[in-house]
Amino acid sequence: MADVSATSPPVLRGRHDFPEISGRIGSIVLSGRLPRHFWTAFFVCFLLVLVFLYSITYLIAVGVGAYGIDIPVAWGTMISNFVWWIGIGHAGTLISAVLLLLRQPWRASINRFAEAMTLFAVAMAGLFPILHLGRPWFFYWLLPLPNVHMHWPQWRSPLVWDFAAIATYATVSLLFWYLGLLPDLAVLRDRAQSRPVQLFYGILALGWRGSAFHWARYQTAYFLLAALATPLVVSVHSIVSLDFTFAITPGYHSTIFPPYFVAGALLSGFAMVLTIAIPLRWAFSVEDLITVRHMDNAAKLMIAAGMVVAYGYVSEAFFAWYSGKPYERTMMIERALGPYAQLFWVMLGLNCGVLQLLWFRSIRRTMPLLFAIALAINVGMWIERYIIVVTGPSRDYLPPAWGEQSLTGLDFGILFGSIGTFFALVFLFIRILPAITIFEIEELAEEKGKIR
Amino acid sequence: MSLYGILAVFGEPEALVEAAGGMRDRGYRHMDAFSPFPIKELDQILEIRGSRLPWIVLAGGIASAALAYALILYSVEIDYPINVGGRPLHSWPPFLVIAFEAGILGAAFAAFFGMLAANGLPCYHHPVFNAEGFGYARGGKFHLLVETADPKYRKGVTKGQLRRLGAESVEEIEA
Repeated sequence: MADVSATSPPVLRGRHDFPEISGRIGSIVLSGRLPRHFWTAFFVCFLLVLVFLYSITYLIAVGVGAYGIDIPVAWGTMISNFVWWIGIGHAGTLISAVLLLLRQPWRASINRFAEAMTLFAVAMAGLFPILHLGRPWFFYWLLPLPNVHMHWPQWRSPLVWDFAAIATYATVSLLFWYLGLLPDLAVLRDRAQSRPVQLFYGILALGWRGSAFHWARYQTAYFLLAALATPLVVSVHSIVSLDFTFAITPGYHSTIFPPYFVAGALLSGFAMVLTIAIPLRWAFSVEDLITVRHMDNAAKLMIAAGMVVAYGYVSEAFFAWYSGKPYERTMMIERALGPYAQLFWVMLGLNCGVLQLLWFRSIRRTMPLLFAIALAINVGMWIERYIIVVTGPSRDYLPPAWGEQSLTGLDFGILFGSIGTFFALVFLFIRILPAITIFEIEELAEEKGKIR
Repeated sequence: MSLYGILAVFGEPEALVEAAGGMRDRGYRHMDAFSPFPIKELDQILEIRGSRLPWIVLAGGIASAALAYALILYSVEIDYPINVGGRPLHSWPPFLVIAFEAGILGAAFAAFFGMLAANGLPCYHHPVFNAEGFGYARGGKFHLLVETADPKYRKGVTKGQLRRLGAESVEEIEA
């Protein structure tokens, strides 16, 4: 990293030519010779996938009581996992869509895997509300389908909005991701050596041939999808927060929730981007394509989102006091000093304390430190969602009805199982599809005059 | 086999743009260019008109939002009117949320499938794939195609012009 200037490291390092860029990125997929530790890591993830499958089977067979929820705390880790995962997905959309609209050149080398991250995170998130249903096999009742019961969904319920928002988000993310992949799939088709591989990428590439007429319409469509994804991403997490705010439970019923949730989503999402990108660029030696500049900018966005989250914490506490209601005040005091106090202070320490280290440029540009901070923020944000979900119902209006959620082995089986499944999907993605957008890097290299 | 056109290969994007401009000055109009990434300068040379895609996307979004809202309205007013906590049957603020999401979904589908339809994709068999030197992504090459349909097209003349404009190689491609 000696040649990185102190002020602003470049988006691309070194000089490249077109065959080199497409060859290097393409060969990660096509040669199939991945480092041994890649498969070791995949194996560990695969074990967690098995844990996940076992836990889900156990949960469905025994029922939702198996994971520590009970009245009054009927929402547990399934809901906090859901909010956490969906939040992680949001940073991917922000990088790929918002930074495209703002014409930030530094998005080019990280947008592809950020979009893949979105897709897999949403896939994980989508499971949890269904598992939480108790009778997951009836989840399709949320859809307005003609069925023998002749009933309709309750359109006034945030849970139905949530279903609409998540389904739309997953679909739009998939379309956006596939549209971005199309020219790169054609590159892989043309570089592939064996017939089955050519067929696989050839069919997926839909016969893309890079015609100037196609590129013009392609770019229009890509920008339009980005413009659609931007309001969508804000609406999705706002609707997720409405699941909470529509209830009159103390600690849920608050107007700060939509912006506070969106900021929290970006904070945890950028933390996950760094968690994946730092090992990725090291393991595949693409430090000149994914540069320190990318990591630095993502860290800056974490600070920005983190300060909004901190404002959300202060605002929640202030309005609990300012409302003058004993229920709100009690809930807030119990959150800080009650049975969940330890978790609460750990959360504050991680999300508000450790985060402040990112103000220092030297820390932002030291990869092991940045990686450790990103992991800490991931943990902190999971705890935040858990605190929000459980402390409200555990201290609601009637003191005799107070109670706690107890974390069981199943809670952790499902949480870590989902993390393992997520990373297993990321590994498969890196193996099968180009993790860095080839055509955008080539365009960038051309624009920046970095062509040999 | 009939000829589809002549494909010239260039090593640099600037060379492709220059050659396309040169061929345009010589009166050619039925041309296409192939590049591994979009080149803005080609839009004017090849007379690529602004796409109608934005209007299709807008129409898709509005139609989809209206459809979702109409479905909700039908369900609460006609098919199953039920009084929930004394709220009006037509409580539009919550209904707008779902209509908004449906609108985004419809617009996204219109953008994706509209782009594919306008470009005639998927298209697994196209004459340019018959060319030896195509496989545009393999070597970072840039291609210019002059179709036989062009009124100015004369096999020998066109080839010579392309060579003089700096083509690395020139190839006839069969339809």
